[in-house]
Amino acid sequence: MTRPKWLLLLVVPVLANGLVFAATGMAVSSDTSRTLASPESFAAITDPVQRSAAYFTELGKVLESPRCLNCHPAGNRPSQGDMMRPHEPPVFRGPDGMGLVSMRCNTCHQGANFDQGRIPGHPAWHLAPLEMGWQGKTLSEICQQIKDPARNGGRTPEDLIDHIGADTLVGWAWHPGVGRTPAPGTQKEAGALVAAWVKSGAACP
Amino acid sequence: MTTLSLSVNGRTLGPFEVRDDLTMNDFLREQLGMTGTKFGCGAAQCLSCAVIVDMPDGSSHTNPTCVVPAANFDGKAIRTIEGHAKDGVLTPLQTAFIEHFSFQCGYCTPGFLNEGQVLLERLEKTPVPRATLEAVIAEALDGHLCRCTGYVKYHEAVRAVILADAGRYLV
Amino acid sequence: MRPSRRDFVKLMMASGIAVAVTPMARADAPTFASRETLPGRGVARPKLGRVDGVAKVTGAKLYASDFRAADMPGWPSETAHALFVRSPDASHVYEGIDLDRLALTARPTVVVTAEDVARIGMRVPEFYAGDLFCPVGKTPFFLGQPLALLIFERFDDFDRARLALRDGDYLKFGAETGPLEGPNYGAFRFTRVAGPTPDAPDIYSPIQEGWISPGFFESSGRPIWKPLPVAKGGEYVKGAQFGDEIRAGLDAPDAGTLVIERDFETQSIDPVFLEPECGLAWYDPAKRNLELVLGVQSPFEAASAIAFLLGEADADHKPASINAQFAYVGGGFGGKDHTPFSLYIALAGMFLPGRPVRLAHDRFQQFQGGVKRHAFKMHSQIGVDRKSGLITAFAADHVLDGGGMANYSPSVAVVGATGALGIYSVPKVDVTTVALHSRGVTAGSMRGYGTLQTMTAIEVLADEICTALQLDPIEFRRRNALATGGRTMTGNPYSVSVRTPEILAKLEANPIWRDRASYKATAKHGFLVGTGVAVCTKDYGTGADCSLGRVEIDAEGRVSIHGDAVEMGNGIGTAIANRVAAHIGVVADRVGVSEIDAFDALGLFTTGDAYSTTQAAQDEAAKNPRWVPAISSATSASIGAHVGTQAAAEAARVLFRFGLWPAALAIWDIPPDDPRAKQWDEAFWQDGMLLMSGLSPLPLKAIAAKAHAMNGITGTMAHAFSRWAWSQATFTVGEYQLTADIDALAIRRGDGDFEPLDRSAVAFPPADYNRIGTAFTSLCGTLVRIEIERATGIVRIDKAYSVLECGEALAPEVVRGQAQGGFAMGVGYALLETLPPFEDGPGNGQWNLGQYRIARASDLPVNDLVVEILPPLSPKEPPKGMAEVVMIPVVPALLNAIFEATGHRFDSLPVTADRIKGVLA
Repeated sequence: MTRPKWLLLLVVPVLANGLVFAATGMAVSSDTSRTLASPESFAAITDPVQRSAAYFTELGKVLESPRCLNCHPAGNRPSQGDMMRPHEPPVFRGPDGMGLVSMRCNTCHQGANFDQGRIPGHPAWHLAPLEMGWQGKTLSEICQQIKDPARNGGRTPEDLIDHIGADTLVGWAWHPGVGRTPAPGTQKEAGALVAAWVKSGAACP
Repeated sequence: MTTLSLSVNGRTLGPFEVRDDLTMNDFLREQLGMTGTKFGCGAAQCLSCAVIVDMPDGSSHTNPTCVVPAANFDGKAIRTIEGHAKDGVLTPLQTAFIEHFSFQCGYCTPGFLNEGQVLLERLEKTPVPRATLEAVIAEALDGHLCRCTGYVKYHEAVRAVILADAGRYLV
Repeated sequence: MRPSRRDFVKLMMASGIAVAVTPMARADAPTFASRETLPGRGVARPKLGRVDGVAKVTGAKLYASDFRAADMPGWPSETAHALFVRSPDASHVYEGIDLDRLALTARPTVVVTAEDVARIGMRVPEFYAGDLFCPVGKTPFFLGQPLALLIFERFDDFDRARLALRDGDYLKFGAETGPLEGPNYGAFRFTRVAGPTPDAPDIYSPIQEGWISPGFFESSGRPIWKPLPVAKGGEYVKGAQFGDEIRAGLDAPDAGTLVIERDFETQSIDPVFLEPECGLAWYDPAKRNLELVLGVQSPFEAASAIAFLLGEADADHKPASINAQFAYVGGGFGGKDHTPFSLYIALAGMFLPGRPVRLAHDRFQQFQGGVKRHAFKMHSQIGVDRKSGLITAFAADHVLDGGGMANYSPSVAVVGATGALGIYSVPKVDVTTVALHSRGVTAGSMRGYGTLQTMTAIEVLADEICTALQLDPIEFRRRNALATGGRTMTGNPYSVSVRTPEILAKLEANPIWRDRASYKATAKHGFLVGTGVAVCTKDYGTGADCSLGRVEIDAEGRVSIHGDAVEMGNGIGTAIANRVAAHIGVVADRVGVSEIDAFDALGLFTTGDAYSTTQAAQDEAAKNPRWVPAISSATSASIGAHVGTQAAAEAARVLFRFGLWPAALAIWDIPPDDPRAKQWDEAFWQDGMLLMSGLSPLPLKAIAAKAHAMNGITGTMAHAFSRWAWSQATFTVGEYQLTADIDALAIRRGDGDFEPLDRSAVAFPPADYNRIGTAFTSLCGTLVRIEIERATGIVRIDKAYSVLECGEALAPEVVRGQAQGGFAMGVGYALLETLPPFEDGPGNGQWNLGQYRIARASDLPVNDLVVEILPPLSPKEPPKGMAEVVMIPVVPALLNAIFEATGHRFDSLPVTADRIKGVLA
């Protein structure tokens, strides 16, 4: 399989995201922006709190990728694509996070990605609840939020290991279909980072 | 390849053998020759390709056909623009679209007609107050793009049908 | 099937190919022609509405995109599919397509490349000059240039290949050359110096001296505008000297003159007609006949261009006949006028002989290959007398990005430049314009046609003048408006009504304007309120426009109409039917549009170029009674109402006067010497009954039956031509002399064939009318009140009002709909739409409507837009075109409102929410 042409066209937005990362205190160099470091590679950080925070910072590459942020909007309308433009046609959260009555998420987003229409899909396609909105937040704020059961869907830190490491809707982020850049690394690697972070006390950057 | 049987405008069709990556839009237009359903963008942006899906629970909604595999419609019941009029008698919404000069080139009309019809049927079951009517129409139709008309006469026509039979659609 | 398609009728001879209509074999499916003839005999329909209403709400096959081979009686039933491959790169040498990597189930049967078209001897029509395909070894001349057509016998193979090429990297490029340079597409200078009083002759004007272009260009292709003291272009030197004098005055104004000097830039946009370009071709090698189904604004041109393309091809690729059929068009806006797409449809058919082939853009491809609106860079200087508020002088320089091919660039440059004064009367004007080649996607015709860009610039400047001089914007416009009879930039007056004062009065009295201060004062917290006004005048017509019309009535009183104008949503079929109904009492139940082949009985031919002919050449040609300056026009330039309906309307008038009226007299038993026999002007229609004072009403059916029984005139066909004035001709009909605004006429008696009538005298509009920029114009003024959310910069249009005049509105609800649609397109252009010009723009093949935002209902005041159409000045005032002008003032009105709300003048488009947020920060 050859590298699709459109990937070349997406270099600019990816770099732009790199700048955002830098502004939020993450040390991300462009050559590692598509991969995730293993928990072991942070062994050199001796301070356990700093090391824990470093795990989360690395995980932040995933959380702040368009694949996650687009459906964790701050308001009621998701964004779309690597450029994270407002979703077209205009769709809104609705009472259950699955759209308004006149336009439900799953009419277009069906069980699986459909590359013909460059449309992503998953059986559980929906918006994250409003309290789980991440757009416009710093990674540090997202970290506090993700630990707060009131704003993370009532999850314990241990639940997060499974949610990020094994949930299939989250896992879509690494298999997003034609026209979208996958989240960095693999879901397994992201899960390993969550596990290391939780076990090290879940410190925030 | 997948086997596909479905109901289109009340007629049961199939089984057909279709490619897994054949869009519903191409199934309708290329395989069935039913070109009343349009192709505009192929990306669920303009909704000129939307058809009505009638669910077993009695509810109906529109569905773009350009971003959905035909195979996903197996066992479903759909309505298209070709199926609204019965025996040459136009529906009130079709008549209103004509009398209000709602469309110009008409290429987006199938999507608006299907969306408007679904709205009428929904209001019949769940009427809304008169004061919210413009907003309800606006929300229902907003996904549909039209380049000719500026939308005004589509909204006018839908509203006219509702107001002409207010007891049916409004609380 | 209609009679016109029953016979083999020769349309024209081009390059030895008979372009014609052939009979179609009987099959169960309705014929293409009957599907396209609306509303259709016996079809139940509401009383109100368009003639295409029922077809469009029932999903009837109507558009070119609706037809496959199986829908065409007499064609083979299977459709093959062709795929356009275009270049996303215009800086590297093209090295071919890696088709070997395509899956076996996605391999084309035929690949058509530059080599193939060269090998078989294709000729490129002059309008499309350039490579039809980029040859291997050359750098593509522009982004989106065709590289190949791939033709597949099975849809599934085509579809798989389309996706593979869309999403994969199959195109091979080599060494970097950078973008290729190309000459400019046209450079013109329009200079006018008025005489000392309005009545005095101009000191210098284009209409007196001819249009001028600079003779010299820099290596970049840019013109040298200075009057170089050399022999070449002596005419240029004279005009340029006047122009430079005007500029010197603006550069050093006296104390009493305010001079404002500004840059304004507009963006490239896509027309976004909802039906992407497409068509069918079937070449039958046994009969050497090429069948085509096309959907374009310019059917005659498309057929002629294809005939030229194939005219000198080798024996296997040169049809003996071409039968082109034209469908309803799913939106055009100029973008389907003279598009090269039709050429490729024909090629697709010729390269898979014996098989019907469909070529269709998807939306990504439409963005990549469809013509765009020109991006303009404008530099303007305007001088205003501080005391009187009168504009003293205007100078501007326009640079258009024409993209990869010339297409309509020279013409858009001219129309934009000559429209640059908008509604204003200015005694000294100097405007230069040049359309440049770039590697961008080709720009061409689109609604507004250059004037949208230049009139936006001047209406924003006008607002700035009013701010600077503390003048009321309506009052400023009233003082400076060009009056009826006043001279335009080219030195001629408009020959139609100019109703600026009425439009201004309407705007001034509208509550949006009247109450603007109180609304601004009561803005909600966190919001800014602003009101903007603009008035524009836009030409209609191109200076050489024509129409064909044919009206027939059968013995049952049923009326059929055929016209050559194209129905693309503009309502032309309805307008023609309404105009004909005024003469013969009923709205026809068979209206055929885009029918360039229904008029063979007129036997028309043409020579030369109507836009550039000389008087001597025209006089000589006019001696032949079948000669006309042009046969059939594109439906564009807002010309539908005025010209597109003219031939059918005149045909109907002749049919009434010489066919129905004598039959009515016969029924009434009124002899020819009775004075009432000459009072046909006194009769009128009501509900299909002919009324005449003192006589019993006659139903049309009875009159028609009588006309047939008398073997009287029951059908007429006519041709009309306008070069800012109608051709007029005299014909002998029976014992009468008829003089009318047509230049060809044929009649049918009873059920007979149409016979042409020789004209006994003809007057074509003078050739030097070609120096006129425009003589036809219509006006529209727009008011908008907007609300801007400070936090986001989002503009919400609270209320809007557009007032326009268009003479007699032939289908008033269609006019209103056009104005509403123009408003929406104006909002998109002003606030939302933009295409980057080059590599990250539409030429990369990755654009679709999610990234490119056009106005949705939620962007518009759908329940708060009022459109007012002024009634005609007189019942005699003919219909005027209005489809373009209604879009134009919307854009500057929005910009002026944004200024009033924010205090910031944006000097480029679009003014997005992010940009507004930026200046509010």
